[in-house]
Amino acid sequence: MAGLELLSDQGYRLDGRKATELRKVQARMGVFSQADGSAYIEQGNTKALAVVYGPHEVRGSRSRTLHDRAVINCQYSMATFSTAERKRRPHGDRKSAEMSLHLKQTFEAAVMTQLYPRSQIDIYVKILQSDGGNYSVCVNAATLAVIDAGIPMRDYVCACTVGFVDETPLADLCYAEEGGGGSSLALALLPRGGQIALLQMDAMTACKGVSKVLDEVVRQHLQDVSVLTRE
Amino acid sequence: MATVQVSEAEKVYILHGIRDDLRVDGRSCEDYRHMEIETDVVSNTDGSAKVTLGHTVVLVGIKAEIGKPRPMVPDEGYLEFFVDCSANATPEFEGRGGEELGTELSNTLYKVFNNKRSLDMKSLCISPGEHCWLLYVDVLLLQCDGNLYDAISIAVKAALFNTKIPRVHISADDEGGKEIELSDDPYDCVRINVENVPCIVTLCKVGHRHVVDATLQEKACSVASLIISVTHKGTVTCVRKVGGGSLDPESIFEMTEAGKRVGKALHAPLMKLLQQEESLGKKRQKVGFLG
Amino acid sequence: MSFNVSAKQKRKTKFKPVYTTHYSRVNPHNKTVFAAVMLKSKTFVKKTRSGGVMKIVREHYLRDDIWCGSEVCSECKQESTVLQRDACIESNLCPFPHYLVPDTNVVLHQIDVLEDPVIRNVIILQTVMQEVRHRSAPVYKRLKDLIHDKEKHFYTFTNEHHRETFIEREPGESANDRNDRAIRVAAKWYSQHLKTPEAEAEGLRVVLITNDQGNKAKAEESGLLVYRCEEYIKSLIANPELVDRLALSNNEQNEISSSKVLFPEHLPLSRIQAGIKSGTFLQGTFRASRDNYLEATVFVQGEGEDSTEIILQGLQNLNRAVHQDVVAVQLLPRDQWVAPSSVVLQDDGVPKDDETNEEEDGRRKRICVEEHMKPTGKVVGIIKRNWRPFCGMLNVSQIKESTRHLFTPADRRIPRIRIETRQASTLAGQRIMVAIDGWPKHSRYPNGHFVRSLGSAGDKETETEVLLLEHDVPHQAFSQAVLSFLPKMPWTITPEDMVKREDLRQLTVCSVDPPGCTDIDDALHCRELDNGNFEVGVHIADVSHFIRPGNALDKEAANRGTTVYLCGRRIDMVPELLSSNLCSLRSNVERMAFSCIWEMNHNAEILKTRFTKSVINSKASLTYAEAQMRIDDTSMNDDITKSLRGLNKLAKILKRRRIENGALTLSSLEVRFHIDSETHDPIDLQTKELMETNSMVEEFMLLANISVAQKIYDEFSECALLRKHPAPPPSNYDILIKAAKSKGLEIHTDSAKALADSLDVAKVDGFSYFNTLLRILATRCMMQAVYFCSGMDSDFHHYGLASSIYTHFTSPIRRYSDIIVHRLLAVAIGADSTYPDLMDKHKQSALCNNLNYRHKMAQYAQRASVAFHTQLFFKNRGILNEEGFILFVRKNAIIVLIPKFGLEGTVFFDGKGKTGVNLRFDEEVPSLTVEQHTFHMFDKVNVTISLDDSNIQHQKIRMALLEPVIPGVSVPAPEVEPQPKKPKLDR
Repeated sequence: MAGLELLSDQGYRLDGRKATELRKVQARMGVFSQADGSAYIEQGNTKALAVVYGPHEVRGSRSRTLHDRAVINCQYSMATFSTAERKRRPHGDRKSAEMSLHLKQTFEAAVMTQLYPRSQIDIYVKILQSDGGNYSVCVNAATLAVIDAGIPMRDYVCACTVGFVDETPLADLCYAEEGGGGSSLALALLPRGGQIALLQMDAMTACKGVSKVLDEVVRQHLQDVSVLTRE
Repeated sequence: MATVQVSEAEKVYILHGIRDDLRVDGRSCEDYRHMEIETDVVSNTDGSAKVTLGHTVVLVGIKAEIGKPRPMVPDEGYLEFFVDCSANATPEFEGRGGEELGTELSNTLYKVFNNKRSLDMKSLCISPGEHCWLLYVDVLLLQCDGNLYDAISIAVKAALFNTKIPRVHISADDEGGKEIELSDDPYDCVRINVENVPCIVTLCKVGHRHVVDATLQEKACSVASLIISVTHKGTVTCVRKVGGGSLDPESIFEMTEAGKRVGKALHAPLMKLLQQEESLGKKRQKVGFLG
Repeated sequence: MSFNVSAKQKRKTKFKPVYTTHYSRVNPHNKTVFAAVMLKSKTFVKKTRSGGVMKIVREHYLRDDIWCGSEVCSECKQESTVLQRDACIESNLCPFPHYLVPDTNVVLHQIDVLEDPVIRNVIILQTVMQEVRHRSAPVYKRLKDLIHDKEKHFYTFTNEHHRETFIEREPGESANDRNDRAIRVAAKWYSQHLKTPEAEAEGLRVVLITNDQGNKAKAEESGLLVYRCEEYIKSLIANPELVDRLALSNNEQNEISSSKVLFPEHLPLSRIQAGIKSGTFLQGTFRASRDNYLEATVFVQGEGEDSTEIILQGLQNLNRAVHQDVVAVQLLPRDQWVAPSSVVLQDDGVPKDDETNEEEDGRRKRICVEEHMKPTGKVVGIIKRNWRPFCGMLNVSQIKESTRHLFTPADRRIPRIRIETRQASTLAGQRIMVAIDGWPKHSRYPNGHFVRSLGSAGDKETETEVLLLEHDVPHQAFSQAVLSFLPKMPWTITPEDMVKREDLRQLTVCSVDPPGCTDIDDALHCRELDNGNFEVGVHIADVSHFIRPGNALDKEAANRGTTVYLCGRRIDMVPELLSSNLCSLRSNVERMAFSCIWEMNHNAEILKTRFTKSVINSKASLTYAEAQMRIDDTSMNDDITKSLRGLNKLAKILKRRRIENGALTLSSLEVRFHIDSETHDPIDLQTKELMETNSMVEEFMLLANISVAQKIYDEFSECALLRKHPAPPPSNYDILIKAAKSKGLEIHTDSAKALADSLDVAKVDGFSYFNTLLRILATRCMMQAVYFCSGMDSDFHHYGLASSIYTHFTSPIRRYSDIIVHRLLAVAIGADSTYPDLMDKHKQSALCNNLNYRHKMAQYAQRASVAFHTQLFFKNRGILNEEGFILFVRKNAIIVLIPKFGLEGTVFFDGKGKTGVNLRFDEEVPSLTVEQHTFHMFDKVNVTISLDDSNIQHQKIRMALLEPVIPGVSVPAPEVEPQPKKPKLDR
């Protein structure tokens, strides 16, 4: 048998969404009391917890201290039971390290670090259940947690993935869609300025005229999340 | 580790309170804090539970996989424990910071749960010597506010209760070759009998008395503590002394007795709650971290 | 002590609100799926390294915005409707307008009926679509084509995502039962949904069609209108013949066959898999013998290269396997092994011979020579049926009123099939198609049903259709889905198109093709540059501009693989709008091209090569003859002619150099029919003649192909699509060497170069045709050239062309391989973007396999078409008397080639009425002595040619020996009777 049919002739995806529809998004801020900020977000079956500690003084080696701004320290990890096949360890593998680095870069661009010289802000994100779009869900969770911590940001960071089935862009891919071949593109944006904080494309596809469509898809999502966070 | 600094004056205040059986948060010495339990919170696991005890938050997910039985006990399945002290709980756990505590916790869990008196390991066997179920019990520590052992053990028990292992059939052909076939019906599941699964009760010696379910502050005042695993019948299956200080035999005896009493009483409301939740079936609205 | 244990509940939030956004229409519903895992397929087990069981959870959204698709509905906010208001199929059972809802099995088994134009206004549920997709890819494709066909009014209802029609599987319910229930729920929903005043007025109803008794009963219980498929089809007033197309359902099969069990039971798939794993059974493809219906071989692919063949003998051991099925076989003990029998046995039993199989077994000769014994086995189960509709003819039952008849397929490897039809008298003498429905264990023959008639046997159209079907050449009209990807007319080149293209419109480009060619895919130009060098350009139709990867058009072309040219008919790979218009590089129109441009010096050495997408405007479309005339006519000196002369001059140098390098010039006789313009019957045959211009075009095409091959390989070493021609194993040349030796000549076969050289000098005085014959023989020694993916192979050599690398670039209109090569080249030069499948060597390798298969089948179909036309030609000419040469000598026959017609035939010396002829065959020479006369290869003989139409399904050309005269063997000269037609031939 051939693989899954990602987009039916009637325009429905595997889970019944149309091409540009996002999964159901649910979020809550202030999940934990001990951390300075925390948030929980679900995008369909991808569920993430983010907590923020800080700003506090730089832990460990003093040499990491920056004199003009705060150090952003991120750790991305996944619960061992979060994936269909059990993971051996929650973090420390190459993929997690890469994700941590991406998160760090994304939030260095968004958080107004210059307000907290010689200090450190920890952002820890944990995927509790993984069903595609882990990175974007993490970014969204972390944004909410940073807001919960009351740390000023230039803008919200919102992220979403887009994939393609025969040149039709699909928003917010689930795991089955990510694995269905084709390409996927993860994008984090600062919606007010329309600035891109992270752009990552896997697999090879034409970017011909695609960026325009993609922009629209992501913008729509941004609006959703911004509305959500402002409520 | 998740510890707090407590000043001398505070210590005295806590000690005196406990001496008079009135703790800082108003509890008596053998009272637990408010505990919330929810099962089936992570849908891609075979069983899961989330337990909140005070501010301590623990999430347990169980995944069943098919493995090979251990050579010593070819007709039994087994459990694997992993405790992830995540950085979410405290920045100290970042990187490899949580590993030491994680190992300590999981070692205790092996001792308490992974034996035939707690669980019917034979029911996890698929075909002796060849295939058995091995349950990966993964504990995720999300927030620490003391009394991790108790919270984890309750969460593990709840998750085991919640675990649904897909039923498998063994089809043997003429040549004796065996084939594992998964049931086509998703409702066709095997449940685990958790009747004899113990819970851990941690008793902290504070001053001359001992308390259950110590908060971080109380823990900071304690010299040492004793963890006791107790079944619903009140049988003690495991006793361990943890912490830096020392205990005299007399108080160990007293603490064991208290642990037995508390532990035995703990099982009844727990099971009642789990069964109640189970009976709601699909009608139950899942809350998870959203409520 | 106190416990304050509580279940986590949603709190009345005070300060920590929960935010929720989701589409108001969308309501999530979690669906849990257990993916079964164990060893169903190897790849899956690999994925789960540690365990075996994986719980997979997928979301499943339910919606409110899925519309019913009916014209009468005013409730749904749909933009367009599919199902008609006036949905009338005249039926005794349903005199009112109605929509049909077939269940999965009806779609799977009765797709032939659904395809009938009468059946319209059908609701295909998503549940059914998905099940069909899982169970049969071919039926799924046909179903999709039906849905795309606007005339059919087939509507797909996404019931699994509809809030009101989605159902969850209940405990204890099997997957099938759930799906049946889903179908009933959806049908019920439709019948309630359409209870609008408007629909009531029309009397519109929904009719569920199912053959499942239980399902039917439950549907009736819930108040649905439900019929069995047979019931419904029989009730149709206008189309009684549709009944014959019904596939036989199980209960009817029982009635037909006797109760006696003839065959052993097939094992269930689980047992088979277990057996294959443990090594007790072997899996392989069943190949029935063409000559002996009681014998077959199973080809078992072993580890790596080695593979074995297992012999199966006797009906019991064949156990209902049909040619091409994938079966599981069990080896018999060694003492029961047999040697392949060399007896020809045709199943000619009469329909009532269910008992005779033992007898036949006894009749079978067992030739048990020890060393010829081969592994012998029996079929224990079927892993995958590979049934397709078969062409053939009906053997009308002797019993006049009988509706059961046996059908004899044209392919001898397929068993006869029992079908039920009421139109036997009409179908007798027609070529018909029949599909197998099943083969119960108590039936001597498989049961099938009539699919359609192809027309009278012997008819040109019918026979063409038959040979297309039998060679698996996809030749249906292009579906709506495919056509929807064609550019909209009127089409022009837009400024955006020009951005990435070079404007070559001013160049004097022309094309040279055979007469009547409408799919011109190449054009050439040549001009002298200021520095004295030549600029030569090969411009190829830019088909990949129109066919975008992955769409229906692309998939269809990839499946077809090649355009098939038959005598008087062309089966296009791409729709005509592209093949004969937009992609065809016709003269005086602007066309997009992919150009390969070289700078060459006067010695035809390439100084520079570049590739570019371009726009050209061909100045002339010439035939080979016209081009030749221009070159030869010294009075013509226009640009086109000058360009042609330049090309011709360079081509000659290129060719000479190529031959020096060891390229082979081989020969095969190609026949051209002169077709009567009115009757389309062949009126004359002629072997094709080659002109200088043929080879001129060929040279540049070769050069372009080689240049492109090098370029794409340099750029994509792992996934370049190339073409190779392996060197034949030395033993292949034995016959050629022996043949030459018989004339005192020596042929060297150590290398292509040696072979080419020795063929060049192999001449016999006074026998000018000898060299051609030798080259024909040499051609037969060659291997088949094949496409392959560079990442999957290490040997790239093209033996025939003596090139280290080669591909196909120059005919994208008629070969799919060229489209892929175009895409690769376009990516290489940055003119287009890539896509995942293009870079996946496994996918590309699979594609190559299909292309090789399609090319092979196209070739066979072409030969069969020529053979059929040859037969037509001889049909009207009675017995002819012709001169020919012996091409091969066999044990009991000689194979004669008639150069005049390019016709090959066999003269048998044994067989009917020729018993007792003294034959001596010497394999070494080779020679065959018949009575006193000895035949050698290349001997000249005279034969009579006639058409043998005693077996209407297998007509053939019969040859008989005329000269040399051997008493008792040769035949007397025919009376030269068909005088009136003779002059035509001599013309």
